[in-house]
Order: sequence, then C-alpha cells, then structure tokens
Amino acid sequence: MNESFEMQQTMLQFFTDPILRGPTVGCMLMCLSAALVGVIVFLRRQSLLGESLSHAAYPGVVIGIAVAGAMGFDESSEWWVSLLVMSGAFISALLGLWCISFLEKRLKVKSDAALCFVLSTFFGIGLTLASRVQFTHTLLFRQAQSYLFGQAATMNDMHIWIYGGLSAVLIGAIALLYKELQVITFDAAYAKSLNIPVKAVHTAIFILIVLALVIGIRSVGVVLMSAMLIAPAAAARQFSNRLYIIFPLAGLFGLLSGFFGNYLSVKVPEMLEEPGSVEHMFLPTGPMIVMVATSICVLSLLFAPQRGVFVRALRIASFRFKTISDNVIKSIWRQSNGKNITFQDIARYQTVSKVYLKIVLANLTYNGWLRRNATGGYELTHEGSAWGAKIVRLHRLWEVYLVDYLGACAERVHHSAEEIEHVLTPEIENELVKLLNDPKRDPHHKPIPRREDDL
Amino acid sequence: MSAHHKTDDTAALSVSNLSVNYDRVPILWDIALEVPQGKLVGIVGPNGAGKSTLIKAVLGLVKPESGDIKFLGSSLKDIPKHVAYVPQRESVDWDFPITVRDLVLMGRYGHLGLFRRPRQADIAAAKRTMEIMGIEGLQDRQISQLSGGQQQRAFLARALLQEADIYFMDEPFTGIDLATEAVIMDLLKRLIAQNKTVFVVHHDLNTVEAYFDWLILLNLRLVASGPLKSTFNAENLYATYGKSYALFGEALKLSQIKTVGLNE
Repeated sequence: MNESFEMQQTMLQFFTDPILRGPTVGCMLMCLSAALVGVIVFLRRQSLLGESLSHAAYPGVVIGIAVAGAMGFDESSEWWVSLLVMSGAFISALLGLWCISFLEKRLKVKSDAALCFVLSTFFGIGLTLASRVQFTHTLLFRQAQSYLFGQAATMNDMHIWIYGGLSAVLIGAIALLYKELQVITFDAAYAKSLNIPVKAVHTAIFILIVLALVIGIRSVGVVLMSAMLIAPAAAARQFSNRLYIIFPLAGLFGLLSGFFGNYLSVKVPEMLEEPGSVEHMFLPTGPMIVMVATSICVLSLLFAPQRGVFVRALRIASFRFKTISDNVIKSIWRQSNGKNITFQDIARYQTVSKVYLKIVLANLTYNGWLRRNATGGYELTHEGSAWGAKIVRLHRLWEVYLVDYLGACAERVHHSAEEIEHVLTPEIENELVKLLNDPKRDPHHKPIPRREDDL
Repeated sequence: MSAHHKTDDTAALSVSNLSVNYDRVPILWDIALEVPQGKLVGIVGPNGAGKSTLIKAVLGLVKPESGDIKFLGSSLKDIPKHVAYVPQRESVDWDFPITVRDLVLMGRYGHLGLFRRPRQADIAAAKRTMEIMGIEGLQDRQISQLSGGQQQRAFLARALLQEADIYFMDEPFTGIDLATEAVIMDLLKRLIAQNKTVFVVHHDLNTVEAYFDWLILLNLRLVASGPLKSTFNAENLYATYGKSYALFGEALKLSQIKTVGLNE
C-alpha cells in the first residue's frame, strides 16, 4: 500500500518537478505526434519513408547550427538556436522528400532504392558538414551531435510549449481530415474518382510526417526516430481492426513510451547505483524511449488477443489436436468390427509421436469418447462411434463432390478429403447433401454412413 | 445539375481522340466512341488490351496523351457526382482496418465535401444499399473477413451510395460465386431500367450476349463500339483477339521506342 503510494508520488514528480517535467512532457507530446502520423505511414506501407526523411533532416540541423553560430548566437540563446535548427531540419527533410519523388517519377528509380539513396546521401552530407562545424563553432557542435541520438534531458518548459503547439496542429489536422485520410490511404484512385483533392491531402500528409520528425529528432535523434513512427502504430494494429481505435491507441502507446522512457532513464541508474558511489550512471533518454516503444510493439506482436503470434500458435496447436483426435477416432471406427484394438493398431496409422498419441487417447478416454476394455484395448463409446461415422461421412461426401462436380479423378481425391474432413461445417455438409442428392456410396463404392439423426 | 435537364438523347459518354501512353508505350491509341444513355455496356478485349486503362482514362485517374471526354455533354469536373467508379477487387488492401459499413460509407464522401463527417442520414442510406446487395448482416465485420463475392457486393453497395447516373465497373464478375453474379446482374438491370448507364470491363466472352446490350471491343485501338447485335460477330472478334493485331501493337511499340532514340 505504502510502497505503491510512494511510486505514485515519484511518477507524479515527473510532471511537477521543474527539471523533470520539461523532458517528460516534451517527450510524451513528441511521441504522441509521431505515433499518430505513424499510423498513416504504417498503413500506407511506407515505413522506410520515415527512416529516410529523419536522416534527410540532419544536414538541415547542422546548417541551422552553423547559421546560428554565424549570427552570433551561442548556447545561452536557446530559443533562437532551436528555431533555426528546426527550420533547417524541416526544409532539409522536405528537400529529401522532393529528391525521393524526383528519383521515382522522373528517373524511374525503384522506390526502395530512391529511399536508401536519399537516406545515405543526406546523412553523409550532414556528417561532413558537422565535422566542419566542429572547428568553426565548437560549442554549438555538441548540439549538432545531440541530434544524432537526441538529448531529452536538457529539454525545458519552452519545449513543452513548442511541442504542445505542434502536437495540437497535428491532432487537429488528423481529426479534420480523418475521412479523407481513410479513403486515400485505402484506395487513392477511388478517392480521386470521388473528386477528393488527393494531391492536396497527400501534401498535407507529407508535411505532417516531416513536422512529426522535426519534433522528434530533438529528443530521440535522427537515427532512432523512425522507430517512434512505426512501433506504436504496429502495436495498435495488433489490437484492433478499426481505424478510429487504432489512432488513439497508437497515441496512447506513444504517450506511455515517452513517459516510461524518461522514468526508466532516471530510475534505473538510481536503482543500480551503489549508495555513496561518486560515479554517476547515465542512461540516455532517447534510446530508452525507443526501447520502451519497441518492447510494447514486440509484446503486442506476440500476445495480442486476435493477431498475436502466441495466440495464433495456440490456435494452430489446438486445431492439430482436434485433427489427430478425428483421425484416431476414425481409425478405431474403421477397424472395430469385433476386433480388440490395441495401442499398436492405432499407432500404425498415425504419424505423430507415441507420447502425443498417448495424450490424445487419454483425453478422448477422459471425455467419454473411448473406453478401455478388460484386456487394455480401446473401444468407442456410443458417442465416439457417432463421431467416427461423422468423420467418415464427411470424407466420403467430399470425395463424391470432387468427382461428380469438379471432375476430379477418383484415385486422387482421398488426399484432399483427408484435409477437408476436419473443417467441414454442418452448414456445408447440408449444402453438399442437397447438391449431391444425398448419395449412398462414395467414388470407391464404399457406403457413406448415415447421419446420427437418420437412425 | 444542368446535365440532368438536358434532353435524353445526349450521349452518356462521348470520347474523341483519346490516346494513353505508359512509359512511352501506347496503351490506347486514338479512341473515339459515343454511348447513349440507359445502356449496359460491356468493354471486351484480350489481356493487356487497355480495358481498365480506358475507364481509368475517362475518369481522369490516368493522364491521357490527348483526348476529349464528355459525360452527358459536360466535362467530368463539372458533374463529378454523376459518375461512379468500382475498382478491381484485387486493387486494394483488404487487410485495411475498416468495417464493411466504413467501406460502403466512402460512397458518400464525395457528396459530403472536405472535413464533413457522414451524418445519420448517410448511415441510413448506406444500410439501405447494403440491404439491396444482401450484405446488411455483415456491416460490422472487418473487410478481410468477407468472401470474394461479398467484397464485390460491398464495392457495389458503395457505388450505389454515390447515386450516380453513369457507373464504371472494373471486372465485377471476376472471382465471385453464382449467387453474387445473379445479385449483380439483377442490380445492373435495375439501374438500366432507371435510364442509368453502366460500363462493365468483362473478359468472359461466353456471357457477353446474355449480359450486355452495347459492346466496346478493344485491343489497343477501338475495334468496334455499338449495339450488341451489330458488333458481336466473328469478324470483330477476330479483329480483337486475332493475330494480326498483335503485330499492329508490336509495330506501334517499336516506332515509339525508335522515336525516343532507344534501342530495342
């Protein structure tokens, strides 16, 4: 009780403490913007675009710093330096975007090649310029460096206002253009046929992307920025099939990443530090934010209720168990004309391991489909026998359908029926019976078992 | 609106001098045709004949080299709401996170204009068109959970919601079940009865006679356009699908390559 109260206190501190609240709230706003724009980028399958544009912003950052230096600003006039750097980054990223579309449209370069070309060229130019600035404006150069991986810790209340304003613009634009964004992302050609100004909205989308990147590189840096676009969107997509839920959910994941990135970068060193130690451990905030975001993303990919890998693996395993059960019941049903059926008799027709088969048999026995007789052999209960007849019935119905309706050759239909017998629903069975005129024999002249309710 | 009040003999679509190139290779070459209102029009031709390109070009989705296109005597930008487009089913990402209802409602976006959200009346109208297409029970499903036939029905419900006078449908009969085929045919007949005009890109020659009353035969250039009875004959079909036209296309392509100074 007491501990959790303390925890709440310290968490609240990140919003009230004059030193902590700058980076915390600033980063949260930045992550929110990135996540919202990221949904559009992610659904348009343009994830690499974010990566390219954030790198393309770097030469603008360095030029902004050089201009600030030439105008006589130093580290103390932060407002002006920030403004120049952000304008530089904005223009440079737009230039990168223009280069990409020029390469694609005019020179017919493939999209991925154009993106990589712009990424490496612009980043290379940025690094070259930076090494030059190193000698001309030594003090400001450190700031240029900080844009590589971000430097959230030095953010202050001013950044809250800047990023708050930019985030408001972004959220407003997405809310106003929601319907257009939806239809254009889904099918741009159709949107154009509706007379929606596709070009103008595309331009707006690109400006939003560049804005979000420019907001983000101060705290996360150009190198890691694209993760902040994509990770929250990819995570949110795992949980919902509705665009109007994915947007706020991605935003929420962004906010959480921003907060816990800051929280952990402060708290983890505190926990690890030996009391009284002189050396201070330091965990950079930007990479920490990215790690929180990607952790959320990985967990969602694995454990999301519908689309998660783990849940899907479970579903596959349970279907396999059902299939093997079907096969076991079927093989006993077919062999059981007064014969005592041993484990060996069953195992002969199954490809699964003996242990797995034992588990299947135990489960079937426990649930009343099978019973052991005095000699240890297996026999079907009344219900088990009905199950076996049903599987064989579906198998043979399907074979008749393949031969009579799809013109398949009778020798080759068994394999398909082996698969389909496990998935046919009662509705499809009824349709088949109607279509095939309730056949009595399969293509191999074996009788098709009657349905239980016919007896 | 003005187009609405024009006399009924105005052509639903008139095209002159339409040529489309892609990467300097001609896709359509000097098309000129006129189709009266109230016709069910089949656009027929072999693969790569430019059938889809023709409807994309008249809808302004592909930029033509040249050409003049009029709908009901007006240019498309003056009467955009009178024309509706049904894209090929395979052309979109069916994993996109929207429901069937969201998809159908897109048919109202053009009427609503920028920034405005669908209103209750639009949602009621969407429900009605879904009922017409027999998919009202699926409205809350994600679109990837539909069968091929159901996806096509959703596309048509969306087009119906546009309440247009001229419809362009790109292969609506491809990859669907028999029941859906009947529902679509029934719908098309009802639209024609209301003097609307429907253009259908179609590739199954066996059903052409049963479905359409007007035919556009296409293979890079226009082979024929006219009432079914006078156009659906062996001569035109040979001209559309026969070997001689493959050579025509080849020569045209070569001449284009030469004129821009490239080697083959």
